[in-house]
Amino acid sequence: MAVPATLTAAERPARAVSPRHFVRLKLRVLGNNFRGQGWRIALFVGGVLFGLWFAVGGFFGLAAPGLAGESRYALMTAAFGGGLLTLGWVLLPLVFFGVDETLDPARFALLPLSRRTLVTGLFAAALVSVPVLSTLLAVTGLVVTAGALGGWPAALVGLLGVLLGVLLCVAAARAVTSAFATMLRSRRVRDLAAVLLAVVAALLGPLQLLVLGAVQQADWDRLTGVARVVGWTPFGAPWTAGVEVAEGHAAAGGLKLLITVAAIGVLLLWWSRSLESAMVGAVSSGPSRDRRGTVAGAAVGQLFPRAVGWARRDRFGALVARECRYWWRDARRRANLITVAVVGIFVPVMVNLGGSRLATDGGAAFGEATANSSPVLVSLSMVFVGVLASVTLANQFGFDGSAYAANVVAGVPGRVELQARMVAFSLYVVPILGAVAVVLAVVLGRPGWLGVMAGGLLAAYGCGLAINATVSVLGAYSLPETSNPFAMNTGAGMARSLYALVSMVASAAAAVPLVVAAALLGDVWLWLALPVGLAYGLGAALLGAYLAGDALDRRQPELLAAVTPRR
Amino acid sequence: MTDQHPALSLRGLAKRFDTKVAVAGVDLDVPTGSFYGLLGPNGAGKTTTLSMAVGLLRPDAGQARVLGHDVWADPVGAKGLLGVMPDGVRLFDRLSGAELLAYHGLLRGMDPAVVDQRAAELLDVLALSDAGRTLVVDYSAGMKKKIGLACALLHGPRLLVLDEPFEAVDPVSAALIRDILHRYVVGGGTVIFSSHVMEVVERLCSHVAILADGRIKRVGTLAEVRGERSLEEVFVEVVGGRTATGEELSWLSRRR
Repeated sequence: MAVPATLTAAERPARAVSPRHFVRLKLRVLGNNFRGQGWRIALFVGGVLFGLWFAVGGFFGLAAPGLAGESRYALMTAAFGGGLLTLGWVLLPLVFFGVDETLDPARFALLPLSRRTLVTGLFAAALVSVPVLSTLLAVTGLVVTAGALGGWPAALVGLLGVLLGVLLCVAAARAVTSAFATMLRSRRVRDLAAVLLAVVAALLGPLQLLVLGAVQQADWDRLTGVARVVGWTPFGAPWTAGVEVAEGHAAAGGLKLLITVAAIGVLLLWWSRSLESAMVGAVSSGPSRDRRGTVAGAAVGQLFPRAVGWARRDRFGALVARECRYWWRDARRRANLITVAVVGIFVPVMVNLGGSRLATDGGAAFGEATANSSPVLVSLSMVFVGVLASVTLANQFGFDGSAYAANVVAGVPGRVELQARMVAFSLYVVPILGAVAVVLAVVLGRPGWLGVMAGGLLAAYGCGLAINATVSVLGAYSLPETSNPFAMNTGAGMARSLYALVSMVASAAAAVPLVVAAALLGDVWLWLALPVGLAYGLGAALLGAYLAGDALDRRQPELLAAVTPRR
Repeated sequence: MTDQHPALSLRGLAKRFDTKVAVAGVDLDVPTGSFYGLLGPNGAGKTTTLSMAVGLLRPDAGQARVLGHDVWADPVGAKGLLGVMPDGVRLFDRLSGAELLAYHGLLRGMDPAVVDQRAAELLDVLALSDAGRTLVVDYSAGMKKKIGLACALLHGPRLLVLDEPFEAVDPVSAALIRDILHRYVVGGGTVIFSSHVMEVVERLCSHVAILADGRIKRVGTLAEVRGERSLEEVFVEVVGGRTATGEELSWLSRRR
């Protein structure tokens, strides 16, 4: 290390490093990743097609007011459509997709680069991706709208706004995930981070109610008012600039562009702050927490958490105990658990409450509101939650990475392995599911439906466990060895979405009989749902572990190779 | 009866990754009770060979037998006799040292009381008791090697397979590891380990094999392989290394 250091001191770098280098590096890494990996290319093509589909749909949606010449919809389309897009860019990476860390900031820690160069470079590299390009394609619809309504000047400002808007989206996604990663990494504030994430998700609820309520009332004046307000926030400013010019407010359009630029600046500044701590943190995560202290009890006693105290001190028990510890101690797994808890509670409440609340025109009591909800709707949303909870296990071996070698060397039978993993995960998730059922029953004011809810949840969760056990054995992929819980390998984002989608659809399909029963059996089902759902879920999970365990026995080394990160 | 078999016997093991041949047919017999050194430069295929020998990597061709048990046909029989410390593989490092040992012991189907007693002893001997409840992820590189060795030793295997056990280990820990391995062999165990540190191999091993470009180039007892020369001389000659002439890299010199 000493030699390069003296060299840089002696010889000034001949050429400055520009964002161009980062973009080329990213393209090169992407290209190398495809080499000799047919399925990766196929996944990538799939991602491009999906992006195109989204882009074309979005384009025509956003260009519709312009093409139809309906100027009164223009502002609303721009403000709400663009605002939703921005919100999606902020929230979706946190909840579902993760961030593409093809260029891991920690890799640049030793290079003599200024923070400014690094941030602009990584930012430029982040722009080279399918989601960014398809978003860009979609929002050009706004340029068409602005141009059709206001001629060339409006189109020009619209184009500028749209370009800045895409930059804003990417900057926001990076800044937010980076900040959250830093927070979740430090154990001291992990609980705070959990609460924050919960609050963010909770904001979705009222917002949805507001929007749906507004749409339902079809009060154009009020809706336009909301659109105007949104248009002046960073969420709507870049998208509405063109429309402002088209409406003759040239100054307002310019001001909105300025707002966007300022927002991008602030976000990049925030990102660069957390980036620095990410770089330092990755190089030496150090013994930051002091876990030293008197050792209580013997080794075996220490391994088993109190919640697993009932387990036998054998192979199965050891696997359960280790998995239990990992779901809490591994930041990546913990982030997944928190997501399940938050989304699991809020989505069904919103679906069942939000949908019916509209009909009663605002301030009606909960009791009346439930008129629209039904055991079928409840069962459906419970199936969704159960499936969502279990999809966390779709890449359960990827969490372990090369550490899984220990189990291969010890020759753990596949069925024992999968059953233990299901039990350990369930120790966390079943209480969460129970809470979901109780909260929903209370909010809806229907304690009598508790059985239907719990039954649907357990059945869907059990089916999900079975499907995801299979997916995790056959479709495992490696996760990068960074401490960022949102980091993904290049191309893995597509794999992750695809596997998650497949396993969610399959799990939901497997749980459909419960929904059908809810629809057909009427009141009898209120009593039967819980025992039937429990038996159904348990049976499915056992069958899944039986079949997938067999597959695991046959391909242990292949699985290990699949989850071992390439260096 | 298993004593008639060599501790480890490899026949025609081969593996290719994409177009690159990593191991091109390795035959090796590790006699019971031997201290076997597998030498080779970086990228020679040492890790690949050992991974295939213990069942971590499926070979394209060939066989691996541990005391007569085929690793791929009878994994349960073979893996029970094996203690393995892979290199470049993470441990379940979000456990503390004691928790990790307990996990490994129970995974091997050991009696909990025996696990407790042996874990305490191993932690003590390897000077890891002071770490207390520190997670293995926060251990230093040398401590990680030591806890890895403890995990491999815990169930009292007949054959120890160690990949680079002395890499990134300070002299004090290295001496300790050498000591423990020596005692293990004296007590009737068999060790095969990979390394590129000649000094350690010369000091410890009864048998040596030199691996380069995925093939065994020299094999035999230490005396047979070394002959009259030093092991390092033989190694460099076999591997075909080059020495710097002094013409290239002239810019490294500050005196021009």
